Amino acid sequence: MRWRYILNIIGILTFFFGLTMILPLLVGLYYRDQSVIPLLKSMGITVAAGLSTYFIFKSSKAEVISQREGMAIVAVGWTAVGLFGALPFYFASGFESFVDAAFESVSGFTTTGASILTHIEGVSKGLLFWRSLIQWLGGMGIIVLSVAILPFLGVGGMQLYKAEVPSPVPDKLKPRIRDTAMILWKVYALISLAQAVLLLLGGMSLYDALCHTFTTMPTGGFSTKNASIAHYDSVYFDGVFIFFMLMAGINFSLHYQLLKGKPLAFWRDSECRFFLGMVLFLTLVVSINLYGPVYETIGKALRYGAFQVVSIITTTGFATADYEKWPAMSQLILLLCMFFGASAGSTGGGMKCLRIMLCFKYCYRELFSLIHPRAVSPIKIGGKTVPDDVMRSVVGFLALYMGLFAVSTVALAGLGVDFRTSFSAIAASIGNIGPGFGLVGPVENYAHIPYLGKWLLIWCMLLGRLEIFTVIILVVPEFWRK
Amino acid sequence: MKIIIVGAGEVGFHIASHLALENKDVVLLDKDPDAIRRVSDHLDVQVVTGSGSSPVVLEEAGIQDAEIILAVTNSDETNLVACLVADIISPSTKKLARIRNADFDNYHEILREQAPHIDTIINPDIEVVKTIHRMMSVPGAVDIGEFADGRLKFVGVNLEDDSKLAGSRLMDLPAIIGNARLLIAAVVRGDELIIPRGGDRLQSGDLVYFISEEDKLIDTLSLFNKYDQPLKRALIVGGGRIGFRLARLLEEHSIYCKIIERNPDRCTYLAERLNKSIVLCGDGSDQELLSEENIQDMDIVITLTQDEETNILASLLAKRMGARKAITRISKFSYFPLTDAIGIEQVVSPRLSAINTILQHIRKGKVLSAISIKGEQAEVIEAVALETSGIVEKPLRDISFPKGAMVAGIIHGEMIIIPTGDSVIQPDDRVIIFARKEAISKIEKILAVKLEYF
Repeated sequence: MRWRYILNIIGILTFFFGLTMILPLLVGLYYRDQSVIPLLKSMGITVAAGLSTYFIFKSSKAEVISQREGMAIVAVGWTAVGLFGALPFYFASGFESFVDAAFESVSGFTTTGASILTHIEGVSKGLLFWRSLIQWLGGMGIIVLSVAILPFLGVGGMQLYKAEVPSPVPDKLKPRIRDTAMILWKVYALISLAQAVLLLLGGMSLYDALCHTFTTMPTGGFSTKNASIAHYDSVYFDGVFIFFMLMAGINFSLHYQLLKGKPLAFWRDSECRFFLGMVLFLTLVVSINLYGPVYETIGKALRYGAFQVVSIITTTGFATADYEKWPAMSQLILLLCMFFGASAGSTGGGMKCLRIMLCFKYCYRELFSLIHPRAVSPIKIGGKTVPDDVMRSVVGFLALYMGLFAVSTVALAGLGVDFRTSFSAIAASIGNIGPGFGLVGPVENYAHIPYLGKWLLIWCMLLGRLEIFTVIILVVPEFWRK
Repeated sequence: MKIIIVGAGEVGFHIASHLALENKDVVLLDKDPDAIRRVSDHLDVQVVTGSGSSPVVLEEAGIQDAEIILAVTNSDETNLVACLVADIISPSTKKLARIRNADFDNYHEILREQAPHIDTIINPDIEVVKTIHRMMSVPGAVDIGEFADGRLKFVGVNLEDDSKLAGSRLMDLPAIIGNARLLIAAVVRGDELIIPRGGDRLQSGDLVYFISEEDKLIDTLSLFNKYDQPLKRALIVGGGRIGFRLARLLEEHSIYCKIIERNPDRCTYLAERLNKSIVLCGDGSDQELLSEENIQDMDIVITLTQDEETNILASLLAKRMGARKAITRISKFSYFPLTDAIGIEQVVSPRLSAINTILQHIRKGKVLSAISIKGEQAEVIEAVALETSGIVEKPLRDISFPKGAMVAGIIHGEMIIIPTGDSVIQPDDRVIIFARKEAISKIEKILAVKLEYF
């Protein structure tokens, strides 16, 4: 571990990250609101901290990054960015302590969308813009962005990329990782642009359209309205959001293939079929369950059912209905959706469909080999055999995910949070969803969670966003052994 | 006429011996001195030790004045390079290559049109799989071949005791079967193959070869009490190239398929590439494994390992344990006469298919295809009737056909005629002739075609 070099890279990352604060600053200046001073202060601190770190730890030449160092850079880099990103909130009014600001910031970067704000519409526009922008930056990944636009990261880019986008089966779209990162960001930006245009056409103001686009494509879920998407109460907007949340939940390399002129790319991919099939099936079940007791017409049941299922399974966390008041079965389905998550290679969180699929296949193979003891039956995805080491890492991931979930739930309950709330708050944090059930339901917020509980949730959000291994490895003693 | 054969393996050896008997100049190349020694000990051919892919060796073998080069080593790559080198040194030489890798399946046409300009690519595996599939789709067929692009089939079936045809004379058949047209081309009784005449009687236990149009095949088979029983479950023993191809074909036809292979690495290979078939790692003659996998419910068992003794044993065991039907891969010609005696009905041989295909492609003149039946006791020949020949424009009964040969079909444009004595062959019709080996030279004269290599 060459800490000098690692800190050097983190310094430069922080510096460039600080520069992105220009955007909300411009918004703040345009609206002449109170966010200008906090943003200027934060930007100054961040840029200065980044530059000084960079120069203090300046290393003579670009070096090759090892896998371990790549993980350290990503984990430490995300923590740093999360904390510096909290500064504008901390300096602005409305956030009582630094933990609240950090919670909001990390919840943004990890595209969780959990908020401690009780009255969103009271916050200045520049700050809300910042809150949405960090989701957009965090969605495709700040490290991937850096790899794409900062040429000197090219050397170790692959290690950084693998640490930040730890898909079970990594897709490399181009021979060079830098080009791959560039393509992903371009596709991401292009789809975002399409959504913003559609929202504008529906009559949303440019500011709200941008803010909501910035939180849909990364499956984040921050809204500029207290009532989230329910504020608009429009079938058109619901439809646009459902569509783009689904797009965000699909592997971005499939979007790339689609744009390259392969119209059947979605259909050919077995994970995508599984994901869309799952969404369709769960939507129907939830809608049938809602029709009658909650909504009097099947149309309404479908509209709200579909929105909420898509919002939760893609781990976005927008709300058009208070699902706290839904029947138990629908709530439990939404809870399962929190664990499910979207496709691998998408901006969504959760366990990811691919892993769930592999897990099902693994279980089926166990049954199958009881019937045919001598059969050779490799686990296949889309006609290709999944290597054993991938299978092992999937099983390891699922076990760690559930284990960490269990421990964290107990810990949060130990801090005095009730059963329903602690259970769903952890699920919603580690899965990067945002709203949970109980006191952190869709119309509630996280302000009342105790001080330590907020740090615990911040830790869970980071774990979930970086898919556990990259973060948890930092607390394994073997990692630090010389 | 000079022919260079690259590769003295089983196929190369056998074709060389075939051609040597026809007094052709054969040069056989192989880099293995032992294989070369075996050839020079047994055959009257020239031998050259060296790699067939080497230009120097090919020149030494005299590629410049060779009419045909036949690349049949076990390595596809060597065969391809040999043809490429031949194409450079001597572009006029006709090139035949055996290429078995399935990845090349879609590139045969391109390899013909562009360098290395291989005139004919032979993949015996494809032929064998086709044969097996035909056997499976024709109930009761022991042997089956096709002419005129599959529109005309010749089929061999065993005549059982309960068939109404048993014991009757051929000339009486029309009275027994009514309107149906049945042309019996050959009868195998014991070890002997007979081209029957009107007065000959069919006996139960005969293997009867008949000619039928494709769409009337099922009706004709019902005369022999062979009824269509759809095949739903198949067990393949041996997951080599043929087993793999067959399994893929069966998957396409939605036949539930299990495949037993002994080598664990090969099993993994198969399991990765087959989607519906169940790949089992084990021995095809392992009784416990067979009963564990419900052998008694299998409609058909196809044994395709490299080792024919294993195949024979596995087929016998499977049938004894309740499988309905078995197809056995046997390569040694010397085993063919035994198959009836040990109760193996249906046999396929990749070597025989390879040799058939290659010989058919080597033959010049107006012979379109030829298939050996029952080992090589007889051949079925598809040829074009030339205007100069003695067989056109007069009724068949006026043509003096040699004993042991008969016209089994006439293809006139799009029309298929199952001939009677009154049928007349028009010039440029294609005729299908069944002939015992010794009658072939006389057939040559009647057709006024030089049938090379018979």
